[in-house]
Amino acid sequence: MKVHVDPERCQGHTLCSMIAPALFTLSDEDGHSTAIDGEVPADQESKADEAIRSCPEQAISVIP
Amino acid sequence: MTTQPVADDDAERKKNRYHFDRHTPDYREKFTDVTAQMLDKCPIAWSDTYGGHWVAAGHSEVFELARSAGHLSNDHDPQHERRGYKGISIPSPDVAFRGGFLEMDPPEQRHYRQLLNPYLSPAAVARWTPLVDEIVRASLNEKIETGRIDFVDDLANIVPAVLTLGMLGIPLKNWDIYVEPIHASVYTSPNSPDIARIQTSRLAMRDDMAAQLAEIRANPRPGLIDALARAEINGSVPPDFELLGIIALLMGGGFDTTTALTARSLEWLSEHPARREQLSAQRGALLDSATEEFLRYFTPAPGDGRTISADCVLAGQEFKEGERVWLSWAMSNRDPAVFPNPNEVDLARTGNRHHSFGLGIHRCIGSNVARMVFKRMVTAVLDRMPDYVCDPAGAEHYQTIGIIQGMKHLPATFTPGPRIGDGLDETIARMQVLVDEEELAAPVTARKGPAVAG
Ligand code: SF4
Repeated sequence: MKVHVDPERCQGHTLCSMIAPALFTLSDEDGHSTAIDGEVPADQESKADEAIRSCPEQAISVIP
Repeated sequence: MTTQPVADDDAERKKNRYHFDRHTPDYREKFTDVTAQMLDKCPIAWSDTYGGHWVAAGHSEVFELARSAGHLSNDHDPQHERRGYKGISIPSPDVAFRGGFLEMDPPEQRHYRQLLNPYLSPAAVARWTPLVDEIVRASLNEKIETGRIDFVDDLANIVPAVLTLGMLGIPLKNWDIYVEPIHASVYTSPNSPDIARIQTSRLAMRDDMAAQLAEIRANPRPGLIDALARAEINGSVPPDFELLGIIALLMGGGFDTTTALTARSLEWLSEHPARREQLSAQRGALLDSATEEFLRYFTPAPGDGRTISADCVLAGQEFKEGERVWLSWAMSNRDPAVFPNPNEVDLARTGNRHHSFGLGIHRCIGSNVARMVFKRMVTAVLDRMPDYVCDPAGAEHYQTIGIIQGMKHLPATFTPGPRIGDGLDETIARMQVLVDEEELAAPVTARKGPAVAG
């Protein structure tokens, strides 16, 4: 699986990177999030799931 | 004389009604029940209070409304230059100025956010952690040998204030000019006879802010005020009263909210010593989720008002242009559809999509500051006063929770311990040197990396 952050929805709440720092990078300038490009490593899948459930803006989606 | 029944499609539109008055002590006392009733029966209701307004309590309803900036306006227009909208407070205070970019709509609001984000992003805020640790350490030093502390007066009021002034570019030692008026103006209800006195002290504070703005303009030093002093918004230089509104917003947001969160959380931890020990022992695993859970459960800033800017149907409700809406972060944070056992504190809660920093384009710009300062204060207390016990007789909650769900006082006792290093005044003086020498208050685009506190 891959994850994607919709930049139109993300408002920089930072929960995703708090939960899964290996998967989400926050911009230095405004704290908005970008997901890693490649496949989510198997041992990070539950963290990815938790980040998706925790994003207050529901900005993160799974790309199958 | 007979009166014709007025054909009123409003009756149908407003059929979900709830008498909602968040400025009464009764609402504070019955918060859990009122919330459960509204979530169950009327997640969006019409209330006849304060000239009539909508109240959104349900999580999905608040989510949809807060993210519909095209139909909900934050604009506050006391001079009637546009549509005369009343901003984010219900009732709207009798003031001549709007409250910074929280009472603006895009694109103006976006310009200000973009200007200030590089001072308040996670990377920008992380630079201040060593300074915060020093102020926390010194604040605790003042009380550690006595075995008695008031967590509001002696810790949670001080640290956020000193940090906020530092970020603004105001001398740190001025913190006590600002703390009291800001603190008092939030816990005093608009119906209180005290409100006139507080307005006066707020005006005095504004004078000092104006002096700081003029001083920074004449002799630039880095910080949020410097960014504002140089700002061009929509191609023109904003007038000073607009900039002062923004400085007041940053202070109001920076001071009392984090104070409230810290006081309420420390009180809860005192009442639940086993959970406190667990949090302290497993802080690596629990501190982040516990912080989000305290944010959810205590919701320091309980909501925001909006004005409907065009007739619309949102979250299944028909709204008319000009109607006022209260978005209740506090009530939506208790929605059982999203939070199992919503009235329980679960330090390890997952999927915690709380609304405590708001949602959408107006998300609290200080959220990264609040989290950092809260965590540093709480962990320092757990380390240096691990057995503290709050005194319920002395604990004083705000009488009403309409604006901030905070506390006036939270006295506690603990086993005395040794001072570590210097006291508060000396530390603040040293930290001022650090802020100046390291240009800590510069935007993160110009200066990266944490301060090196000696
Ligand atoms: S949690 Fe959501 S809104 Fe927050 S930074 Fe991550 S993607 Fe953006």
